[in-house]
Amino acid sequence: MGEHLLEVKNLRTNFKTSAGIVQAVRGIDLHVDAGEFMGIIGESGCGKSVSMMSIMRLLDDNAAVKAEKIEFDGKEMQELSRKEIRKILGNDIGMIFQDPMTSLNPLYTIGNQLMEPLMKHQNMSKARAKERAIEMLETVGINEPDKRLKQYPHELSGGMRQRVMIAVAMCCNPKLLIADEPTTALDVTIQAQIMELMAELKEKFDTATILITHDLGVIANSCTRVVVMYGGKIMEEASVEDLFYHPAHPYTEGLLRSVPGDGSGSKERLVPIPGTPPDLLDPPAGCPFAARCPKAMRICNQAPAQLTTVGADHRAACWLLHPQIKDMKGGE
Amino acid sequence: MGEKKTLIDVQHLKMYFPIRDKGLKKSYSMLKAVDDVSFNIAEGETFGLVGESGCGKTTVGRTILKLYKATAGTVYYDGKDITAMGDKEYFPYHKEMQMIFQDPMTSLDPRQTVTEIIGNPLMIHNVVANKTERDEKVQELLAMVGLKKDHANRYPHEFSGGQRQRIGIARALGLQPKFIVCDEPISALDVSIQAQVVNIMEDLQNELGLTYLFISHDLSMIRHISHRVGVMYLGHLVEVADVEELYNNMHHPYTQSLMSANPIADPIAARRSKRIILEGDVPSPLNPPSGCPFRTRCRYATEHCAEEMPQLVETELRHFVACHNML
Repeated sequence: MGEHLLEVKNLRTNFKTSAGIVQAVRGIDLHVDAGEFMGIIGESGCGKSVSMMSIMRLLDDNAAVKAEKIEFDGKEMQELSRKEIRKILGNDIGMIFQDPMTSLNPLYTIGNQLMEPLMKHQNMSKARAKERAIEMLETVGINEPDKRLKQYPHELSGGMRQRVMIAVAMCCNPKLLIADEPTTALDVTIQAQIMELMAELKEKFDTATILITHDLGVIANSCTRVVVMYGGKIMEEASVEDLFYHPAHPYTEGLLRSVPGDGSGSKERLVPIPGTPPDLLDPPAGCPFAARCPKAMRICNQAPAQLTTVGADHRAACWLLHPQIKDMKGGE
Repeated sequence: MGEKKTLIDVQHLKMYFPIRDKGLKKSYSMLKAVDDVSFNIAEGETFGLVGESGCGKTTVGRTILKLYKATAGTVYYDGKDITAMGDKEYFPYHKEMQMIFQDPMTSLDPRQTVTEIIGNPLMIHNVVANKTERDEKVQELLAMVGLKKDHANRYPHEFSGGQRQRIGIARALGLQPKFIVCDEPISALDVSIQAQVVNIMEDLQNELGLTYLFISHDLSMIRHISHRVGVMYLGHLVEVADVEELYNNMHHPYTQSLMSANPIADPIAARRSKRIILEGDVPSPLNPPSGCPFRTRCRYATEHCAEEMPQLVETELRHFVACHNML
């Protein structure tokens, strides 16, 4: 152990707002290995994006990030100065955001935005950077790359912009790629193109990838390991097969039942999760999912459950998995 | 399958939007958002309309409800031609044909309380005589969509996305419509909330015999909720069939690639399925390709496709396809 590319221990992120302190991330542990395709799934406001932004130190000043450890490639991120962080971002860590229109600068050409990191981080000459930029655009499947370099983001379609974003993120051969809902704004046909491209790039460069999404379909199609987040905490962590076929947490079960199945076309009624996610201004003392959980017990409202090992690389935070409770339930 | 009564019959519907050309000339190009679309919906059924963004599916819904004035074509509602009607003549039909919008944040007036949002249409259409009656009716509607009584005096911003969408549904239901256009009603919602809203819509359909035009790009949800499905591409309907027939036995190359691109929430099935990755983007509707609209991205395109536009043909019972090289 300890050889992970990225290892996060007990990450907590709070936001100061006019309404009070929002506890967006409430103590999570994460790790990613080289060449791994990991997914983080959760509903809006569960803290999945904020945890990534915290790791990259991209949050505004009203955010307080605390962690026992945020170790990337052997370096403790919390000890680095802003300047040193900026050397890592865009070079060793690439990022793709949800909306390619707002994450590309509308005032600079595609070429400008692609060549800047190359010249800054990799000390390439302008001519060499241009060569590499054209090469990258070809890799992500954009035709007429030399023409595109002179174009501005608004001249491209949504799918093309997202490809450019991927090219920018990948151009310095990062060790880790963080993709935050990279296909949510796109149509399924374009989504399929982009996911295919990300898988190809992973194979080619052995990049570790963290994919943040709320789409179970996208997770099933691309990830090997999945983390399920809810109310700022990790509910379950498993291989993609275990998660879909042997979910251990009632929230994961609920999520799986609320989408229309495996494509067999059954008209079976969907089973929604009743209620709404907790308010993180005043998070519940116990398990964040207790209020919506069909299996909730008294203890669930009183104390949060710890992540318990269920199987190989499979952990879930649910009181039902506690050995004593398991014994009791088994004895009934 | 027994013949059901047709409630909505759309014949050769066209909706063109004039777009001012660049430069100083006062000339216009026509954006053909919907170009010669025909289909019908049986009473009490859900017709799912799928396609990528910009394919004209929302425009179809809006044109049926006369939110846009159709360029050409006819919409028959319950046998009556509503496209030709004037505003006064159409007014009573407003009540029977309602819409649920995609974005629950922008489709509710932020300055009205829930009572006003749901109740005002009732007053306008004289469904209720006075405010007391209105308030009672609003309570009843809130209960139907699973909201609480004390929600009536709140404003939209106090609700979550799922709750707002329920308010939108309650508003549409108040006038006891027969037909509702649901324009991406769940795509702005979280997965766990989507199922809540879809279940409410299905329950209401069973109780009240509602007919839906369900517009979505979520192919799994369309399969779940629809009885019949139409696939649109660049303003044209390329394939229409009963839902299981379409998903199991698709004939149009576009339908096939669209379906194969849909990520199935099942890792083993996902690994088994073969993806057909489409090249490039949808062409601009301002300058559509000649002949078949899909030919520029189609693997099977021939010269004939560029010359002649394929028409919808019934290949099997109730299964229509517009393609020269049917699969």
